[in-house]
Amino acid sequence: MKPFVYHQPKSIEEASVLSAKNWEEAVLFAGGTDVLGLLKDGIEEPKEVINLKGLEGLDQIDFTKGKELRIGALVKIAQIAEHPAIKQSFPALAQAAAQTASPQLRNMGTIGGNICQRPRCWYFRGDFHCLRKGGDECFAVEGENKYHCVIGGGPCYIVHPSDLTVVLQALGAKVTIVWKGGQKTVPTSQFFVLPEEDLYRENILKPGEIVTHIHIPVPDSKMKSGYLKFKERDVWDFAVVSVAASVRIANGRIESGRIVFGGVAPKPWEEETLNRELKGLPLKDADLQKLKALALKEAEPLEQNAYKIPLARNLMLSLLKELMPIIPN
Amino acid sequence: MAENKIIKSKFFFEEEEIEQLAEVSERKYRPWPNNDKLKVVGKGITRLDGYDKVSGSATYAFDVILPRMTFAKTLRCPHPHARIKSIDTSKAEKIKGVLGIITYLNAPKIKWYGNSFLFDPHLRYEGDEVACVAAVSEAIAEQALKAIKVEYELLPFVVDARKALKKDAPKLHKEGNVVRGKPSKYNRGDLQNGLKEADVVIEQTFNTQVEIHNPTEPHGSVVNWNGDHLTIWDSTQGVFRVRSQVAAALGLPESNVRVIKKYMGGGFGSKLEAGKYTVMAALLAKTIGRPVRIALDRREMNLAVGNRPDSFQTLKGAVTKDGRLTALYLKSIGSAGAYPAGTGCAWPLRSMYDCPNVSVEEYGVYINAGRARAFRAPGHVQGFFALEQLIDMLAEKVNMDPLEFRLQNYAHEEPNWHIPYTSKLLKQAYLVGAKSIGWEQRNKVAGSQSGPIKTGIGMSSQIWWGGGGPPAYANLKLNRDGSVQIIAGSQDLGTGTYTILAQVASEVLDIPVEKIEVILGDTDTAPYCGSSGGSTTAASVTPAVRDAAEQMMDKLYSAAMAQFDLPKNKIKYAKGKFSTVEPKPRVLTIGQLARKMGERVLETVGRREANPKGYAINSFGAQFAEVAVDTNTGKIKVQKIVAAYDIGRVLNRLTIDNQIHGGIIQGLGFALFEDRILDRNTGKMLNANFHDYKVPTIKDTPEIEIHIVSETDNRLSNTGVKGVGEPAMIPTPAAVANAVYNAIGKRITSLPLTPDKILMALQS
Ligand SMILES: Cc1cc2nc3c(=O)[nH]c(=O)nc-3n(C[C@@H](O)[C@@H](O)[C@H](O)COP(=O)(O)OP(=O)(O)OC[C@H]3O[C@@H](n4cnc5c(N)ncnc54)[C@H](O)[C@@H]3O)c2cc1C
Ligand code: SF4
Repeated sequence: MKPFVYHQPKSIEEASVLSAKNWEEAVLFAGGTDVLGLLKDGIEEPKEVINLKGLEGLDQIDFTKGKELRIGALVKIAQIAEHPAIKQSFPALAQAAAQTASPQLRNMGTIGGNICQRPRCWYFRGDFHCLRKGGDECFAVEGENKYHCVIGGGPCYIVHPSDLTVVLQALGAKVTIVWKGGQKTVPTSQFFVLPEEDLYRENILKPGEIVTHIHIPVPDSKMKSGYLKFKERDVWDFAVVSVAASVRIANGRIESGRIVFGGVAPKPWEEETLNRELKGLPLKDADLQKLKALALKEAEPLEQNAYKIPLARNLMLSLLKELMPIIPN
Repeated sequence: MAENKIIKSKFFFEEEEIEQLAEVSERKYRPWPNNDKLKVVGKGITRLDGYDKVSGSATYAFDVILPRMTFAKTLRCPHPHARIKSIDTSKAEKIKGVLGIITYLNAPKIKWYGNSFLFDPHLRYEGDEVACVAAVSEAIAEQALKAIKVEYELLPFVVDARKALKKDAPKLHKEGNVVRGKPSKYNRGDLQNGLKEADVVIEQTFNTQVEIHNPTEPHGSVVNWNGDHLTIWDSTQGVFRVRSQVAAALGLPESNVRVIKKYMGGGFGSKLEAGKYTVMAALLAKTIGRPVRIALDRREMNLAVGNRPDSFQTLKGAVTKDGRLTALYLKSIGSAGAYPAGTGCAWPLRSMYDCPNVSVEEYGVYINAGRARAFRAPGHVQGFFALEQLIDMLAEKVNMDPLEFRLQNYAHEEPNWHIPYTSKLLKQAYLVGAKSIGWEQRNKVAGSQSGPIKTGIGMSSQIWWGGGGPPAYANLKLNRDGSVQIIAGSQDLGTGTYTILAQVASEVLDIPVEKIEVILGDTDTAPYCGSSGGSTTAASVTPAVRDAAEQMMDKLYSAAMAQFDLPKNKIKYAKGKFSTVEPKPRVLTIGQLARKMGERVLETVGRREANPKGYAINSFGAQFAEVAVDTNTGKIKVQKIVAAYDIGRVLNRLTIDNQIHGGIIQGLGFALFEDRILDRNTGKMLNANFHDYKVPTIKDTPEIEIHIVSETDNRLSNTGVKGVGEPAMIPTPAAVANAVYNAIGKRITSLPLTPDKILMALQS
């Protein structure tokens, strides 16, 4: 690890100023579960590390009935997994939190860090000077790409590693970003970016910008949500593929819904066509099968990851069946 | 008759039959009865070292702290194949706190791996040693590594054994890419005849992956010079082996080198030889005049200290309509890595079944990757994965139940040498295991269940050596207060050796285990024992301890006779006390008796007896697996493993269960997850860490049921123990693979059985 200067700002403004240089200069540090690995492995070698844990007011979960759930960026993943109101009204979020990493990591890792974590591509994490690190080659595209993306990739083929983001997007969450002298709130669908938009970052944050809160609208009683994470090992494993869904069910039909995939693309992956198809869909097995054929239709797998497509489709179906009473044919 | 004698001793250690002269005990003891008649042996007493380990007070090599100790780190080659053009250490040397740097330019030319050197400018894999730095802290040593400038000439590389065999493949060594220049061959009977005789012949290829040992405790040493005497605290499976290797490397008399190992967090075969790191640390310590600690990190562990070689196996099996094996054939290719190593996997096929015609051809191949080493049942885990699936395929072809098929081809004598076994209770193991898994409930037609989750049951047999043999010695000391020490040059890898040796002495001396102190792993103080590998430790060392303890009993009887002035038959001994009623009741504890002796310490030397002549010594067993395959995801959930073993006498029910649990979990890791991934385009390892290299967790661990069908093997030794450490892992992957076939009706012939393979097989 390279030596660095360690800052403990007391205010968001101070943190913003300290980190406003450029990505090579300074890095934000929340729970550190991701950042420490990056520093130790020499993937990031900043001159300054800015600890966010001293910032006040970012470690609360506020639940306003009928309105919104607001989660501070420094809230620990374990807190989300165990929060009674979240378990009750946002089961998908609680499930995703409970399946993230391991107990130790959930006790340290924050939601802000979770959505801003860097990719796990093994070339990125190894000593390969790849495109994303400013090099001129993606080693994955013709290399060992079993865990890479099947859609939305190019020229880099990472998948977004976070579990929470997949659910947040399905629940229509928004992210508040604050910097010295300004702030904005954007839906997650606008927060994450594909490599073709920005090859070096996974989201829209600029140096000096800090995620402070996540807002999730409170669903009505007809909304159901769920999350299925497929991992090779039963615990302590990133998703190979995951799927989150929130659906509103009335009169034996899906009124509306959102399906978001994880592990298949460089960002949480949502397909307009699929969501549209959900509208008014009867709860019949045959209709669900149609959905299956539609999901990830544009996918272009790499040499070793074609299995992700049937896997994602099957998971989607399993999840929908879990959420709704399906009428067999 | 002399009580000790030197003989030619021959037995299997890991994959090799070793022959050596050894002094053995000629004393014959009455065989112990079955365990239910014994007081201590066989009981599940908790480990004597348990408190130390759980409380954190156990000191491992890494925990040794010496005054003025310094820290060393190794610069490793980042390329799969390169030659050093130049090295510039001047910048690194100037860093404050850096004390010494060695490279091929200033280190002595010490031979290593037969045809290479401690520092070889020709670097043959990612991880090959380039330089070693000692500094006042590990962090500074690491910074110094970054400051060393190396100019590499990049050479063409090959990281796939099959490609390395091609004519135009880059060569790693002058001899070419085949280890020892030619394949190793074995033939018995006549393969062609066997094939002709058969009604059914099946040919099938099977592949297994490279597995990394990844013991919990990293490799490492602390070294300290005292004049020209060197002391090494090492995390090793063989203190005497390390002493010989390091002494030879440094040109020291062995008497000047002391190797100590007390506690250890596993080795699995990767610590059976001296590490380059120990010698590098010793060289640095000598130049800087301070002790050096060198400890590998997880990445280095994955790259540079061994692995289970992969295997590409083509098998042929031939049977008659009525299920009689007439021929077995194997051609295998395995990656030795960058330097010579064993890669064979033919022993299962040669020795498991009664088959008259067998032919084997095996290629060990150099590739530009970390060198293989023995890994828990080398060859056998790979070999059984292929053989036992082939056996199931043959049984299916002739419409036989796989278990019945195995019983039909049961080897009643050792098929390679046509000699009897000291004991073989495999049939009992089969029957007990089958009953307990519910064998009759398996799918009669593989893959016939409907529904997304399909369950299946499968099995695999196993054979291993593990009989151990001489030389193995143990000193037993009785102190004046009645306390006892056992001193042996063996080592406890975490398996429970400390505890079982104390149990054996406790059984003979009839004193509590707590009164017995066991001292292992010190070349200066302990008599010789072999390295702890090949599942030989318990089988080799416990008879020596019994011999020492029985001699001590004789000595004590003799002392009691002198003290009481009575013949032996008038004296009774029980629970640490001699007593007599003649001429009046008298009682002497062994402590009191010891105090009457002029010497303050009574000592005996126990020796392992010779193995019986004309017998094959093998452990046997079978595992039965029950799996559930999710056809939506391709994920295999192993629900239950039943393990049934013939391993002679159980010494400690808890430690044997631990061994079997550990073996099965490691076997599941190999079956389902673990895989060294080398990037085919750059030759570099992609998953040299613990979250991309996936070992199983407790959540992936099924219900495990263990049956030991043997009581003892009295033909083998005075304790009747056969080894279990390696046998525990051997059959797991094959049993799981057969169960998966039974569930889904598709045979997955390459390991690991990952969901992508299953899913794609189901789609096809
Ligand atoms: C072994 C292992 C297993 C894991 N498994 C999973 C898993 O299964 N699922 C999963 O989703 N994740 C997993 N993770 C990732 C884990 O690090 C995150 O889940 C965790 O939530 C990160 O939070 P943190 O607070 O520790 O982030 P940090 O490490 O502190 O930061 C992560 C990144 O976010 C940036 N950052 C942090 N906070 C903010 C903020 N408020 N505003 C702007 N940028 C910010 C940092 O600069 C850094 O780039 C795993 C990690 C490890 C090491
Ligand atoms: S997928 Fe992206 S991160 Fe991975 S090697 Fe290619 S460019 Fe680098």
